[in-house]
Amino acid sequence: MAITGVRTPPQVHRFPQSKYIDAVRWLPPLSPLSKLAVLAIYDTDADSPSLETHSISLPASLTPHSQWTPPTRISSLSTSHQSLVAASTLSGSLHVLSSAMQVLLSVDENSGFHVGPISGVDLTGSECVSVGEDGRVNLVSVIGGGEFKRVYDGNGLVGFNCVKWASPTEFVTGGFGYGLQWWDLRRAGSGGPVLQFKGNFGSQGKASGMIHSVDIHPSRKHTCLAGGSSGTVFAWDLRWQQQSIVLSGVGTGEAVTHSLSESEVWEVQYDCHTKSSNISSSRVLPAMFCSEDGILAVVEQGEEPFELLAEPCAINSFDIDPQNPSDVICSLEWESIAIVSRP
Amino acid sequence: MSGENQGGAIVPYSEEAKKPVVYPLRHGLKPPISRLGISWSRGNSLRVTVFRQPSEDSENEVGGKAVEVRLDGRDGEISDAQWRRIAYGSVSPFALLQSRKNSFASLSKISSTTSPFDAEWWEYVLEYSKDISSLLGNQTSTTQSLIEDPKEVLKKDPEPSNLKAAWELMESFYADKLSQAWLPERLVDWLADYDSLFSSTQETVHSKLVDFQKDLVSLQVIEDEPKYWEVMSSALAVGWLDIVVKLLRLHGSYQLDQLGNRETENGLVEAVAVLISKMPRMRPELEAGKLGECFKAKPDFMKAWEKWRAQIAKLECSTFWIQCAHRQTQEGLRNMLQIMLGNTNNLCTLTCHWMELYIAHFLYIRPFTVGLESMYGLAQKCIQLKPMAASHRLMGLLIGILGENIEVVLAECSKGFGPWMVTHAIEVLTAGSHQADTLLHEERDNLGGISMEELHRLVYAQVLSSHPLTWQIAPIYLTSCIKQGMGLLEMLLYKQPVDHNQLLLKNLEICRLYELDSVSSNIMKHGKKGSGVYWLQQARDEARLNRIAQQMFDSVGRSISDENFRQWEGLIQLLGSEPKTAGGLEFLHNYRDFKKSLLQIRDGKTTDAARQAVESLISLMKNPCTPQRFWLPLLHDSLKLLNWEERPLLNVLQTNLLLNKLQELSIARLRPDFIEADLPPHALSSVRLALATNLGRTTLEEQ
Repeated sequence: MAITGVRTPPQVHRFPQSKYIDAVRWLPPLSPLSKLAVLAIYDTDADSPSLETHSISLPASLTPHSQWTPPTRISSLSTSHQSLVAASTLSGSLHVLSSAMQVLLSVDENSGFHVGPISGVDLTGSECVSVGEDGRVNLVSVIGGGEFKRVYDGNGLVGFNCVKWASPTEFVTGGFGYGLQWWDLRRAGSGGPVLQFKGNFGSQGKASGMIHSVDIHPSRKHTCLAGGSSGTVFAWDLRWQQQSIVLSGVGTGEAVTHSLSESEVWEVQYDCHTKSSNISSSRVLPAMFCSEDGILAVVEQGEEPFELLAEPCAINSFDIDPQNPSDVICSLEWESIAIVSRP
Repeated sequence: MSGENQGGAIVPYSEEAKKPVVYPLRHGLKPPISRLGISWSRGNSLRVTVFRQPSEDSENEVGGKAVEVRLDGRDGEISDAQWRRIAYGSVSPFALLQSRKNSFASLSKISSTTSPFDAEWWEYVLEYSKDISSLLGNQTSTTQSLIEDPKEVLKKDPEPSNLKAAWELMESFYADKLSQAWLPERLVDWLADYDSLFSSTQETVHSKLVDFQKDLVSLQVIEDEPKYWEVMSSALAVGWLDIVVKLLRLHGSYQLDQLGNRETENGLVEAVAVLISKMPRMRPELEAGKLGECFKAKPDFMKAWEKWRAQIAKLECSTFWIQCAHRQTQEGLRNMLQIMLGNTNNLCTLTCHWMELYIAHFLYIRPFTVGLESMYGLAQKCIQLKPMAASHRLMGLLIGILGENIEVVLAECSKGFGPWMVTHAIEVLTAGSHQADTLLHEERDNLGGISMEELHRLVYAQVLSSHPLTWQIAPIYLTSCIKQGMGLLEMLLYKQPVDHNQLLLKNLEICRLYELDSVSSNIMKHGKKGSGVYWLQQARDEARLNRIAQQMFDSVGRSISDENFRQWEGLIQLLGSEPKTAGGLEFLHNYRDFKKSLLQIRDGKTTDAARQAVESLISLMKNPCTPQRFWLPLLHDSLKLLNWEERPLLNVLQTNLLLNKLQELSIARLRPDFIEADLPPHALSSVRLALATNLGRTTLEEQ
């Protein structure tokens, strides 16, 4: 194990919002001097949702830029390198917008798209994939003008919480029972996922759990990173389908793993800022997660986890800046935004 | 209302609740109004729906309207969002103090020498108080421009709030033991920070200064202006020495071109300025920029005070005054000396309300005042001399504190500043005195056996739980309530809407933290089929899982050609590998294998698949978990297997088992509670025929 010296604590900037922040994502900046982020906001008192871009110049300012009002509260948010924003709602509609908050395309909830809330969207290039608790998996092409293609319909018998593209034709979904599903559009005729994984992290009286977030590193599409209940963060390597590599969590039984959190892990992402001491293709790359018990931390296989934030309230969402991976934006339960700048 | 007839009420109604409050409604509808509907809305609001009498002549009129009425009488100075921010921020200090209190309590059980009133303890309380105070607004602004404007006498402070002012009073009198020796001086500072709060209802020294500041720019010869002298004297009376000295230095005699012929005059102005800035103060230290000389020990202070007074008296009798040609300067300066000498009449006319007069008394008449009793007496005297134009909640609180009446202090906190204030101030109050400690922790029969402290925490928790964003904080306060807290917490959790999973999981997290297993398993029971089964597994509800299994079997079992089978597969997969938690659903797992094999037969007609199907069928029929009512559908599905063309697939033993089951089923059908499967009427006979044929074929083969 590498010697982890005393790490310089990150700088944290907090911006109270006086509205609930459902999700945050970075966007490519408009000017070299400031950063741009998109926030899914919900005003509880007025019962009104909004999607807003804010330009950020550290250390002190967060200024609203443009704004759009979705039909209902936003359930999932995804941004692409082309400055596009995909937002799904609790009523089951999907919207793709430019970074100036101009709506490029909308899929209405009444078009038979999804039943009930969409729980996850992922946008890459011009393709957007959406999943829901209704068990539907849909594809929407940004250039397709609001038409969607049904990949699968689980009729509510299975449900999905999150989705992430692995390649232009493959993606991974996560859901109940620590379940992960691998899909391949080239083999869509089979009607279901190509590969499935069901985690067994049950211990301490917890029967099972769910996956809330998945991520795939562009250079290693065979390894899915997943985070879910009971502080669980694990990797599923398609080359060894039956096992998983637990990075954090309560449940592997004999092998005591590092566990920073015991509650829901809301979001996971590969962290390209943390340099791994051991770059072998069999090792899982460093990963960051945020949790209901207020932890934002970096975990790495075989290394001590490193805590970036320990808040008294939940951290519901975070995003690592792809342009400058030392900066992380997160949304806190207590109506505020925090930006963590790592040295 | 007396305590007895409040019955089961947890929160007793105050006398004030009986007074009706009128909320005007603006619905804008034309009369006649025929009907009203009233229901609770978000938080503390009522939704009132007003319906008009339908009439033919006014078709274009709106038939009704729904309006929301906010019931709480919160002051407008703190917005809802700010209140929430305060609520969020006070969680950590409160929780930290509670945990420290608990560890102190366990320590004092071991050794009787430590009591919660030890020096160490109130340091914790002071830390808590400062944390809370910092939430209520910024300290006086620290951002000063590099180039100081000589004409800006009054610094622009961020708007002070009544809440912060009230908290600081509590802190000075109860939390900060070090300030006990110099309470009057703390009040001087307090008024300097918060005098502007009284300006809305009456004139104050602060408002006088604000007005004069506006005129200052246009004034040519400042010392000719009577207002200049009046404002300075007023500021001096309440001890804002830095402002007075700054104003004095604006005097015309300081200007270089005039210095020559106004030398004596300037000397007098400067002498007064120096005397002011050398005023002895009975306090450990002064903020940077504030004037005076600090003394910690009383004898030193008394000595310095006498000396200072002697210097003033000497200047007063000086012959230089005759040489001072400028009348206003001469009069103004001598007036100021009178203030410093404690001339009651001057002080009374120059101050605007009793609190200012009170401060002036501390500074110039009774600088040696100690003890709350004498402070209270002096306050009463000042109130008589210079009552306020309107009653103010801060004054009510201060009088309560000075009068050493804990109940009044609590009532004023509650009335003036709401449940947040009371709940958090109690921590400071109980640290302040044994009397308060006993009063607040005593269990009271008229409160249903709970203490005042618990009552106020419960009330605050109710307020928190009425808002969708703050209800998550409520458990922290509820769990600190020994008697009723957990019960209310359970109720609160049951009441939370579980519109979507994320919210549900947040609820469950609270259950986990507070070990409320039964609540969490009840909350879990909702949702769609897939997630429903998941939640039931989490809740370990075997009875319900079995029932679902039966329903599922009905839909899955209808036909093997069902296109939806693949979807069921996902669900069964979810149930599958945990037979213990899946309960009776185990047979569904077997059933899936059976169905899979059947599908393969349909697609490709392989004998291997058929064999597998038979094995699954037999294990299903053998398994006691498989409910009786599914036997016939299973057998009916397997007709193809029973009539397998190539050769019989079941041996004699297996066929006999199935025949026995069929026999059992025929008997069961006679019972009145038997539920008939949804199958064609000839199903039973065709199964029986197939089994009989199979038995014949297999017997022949085995021979």
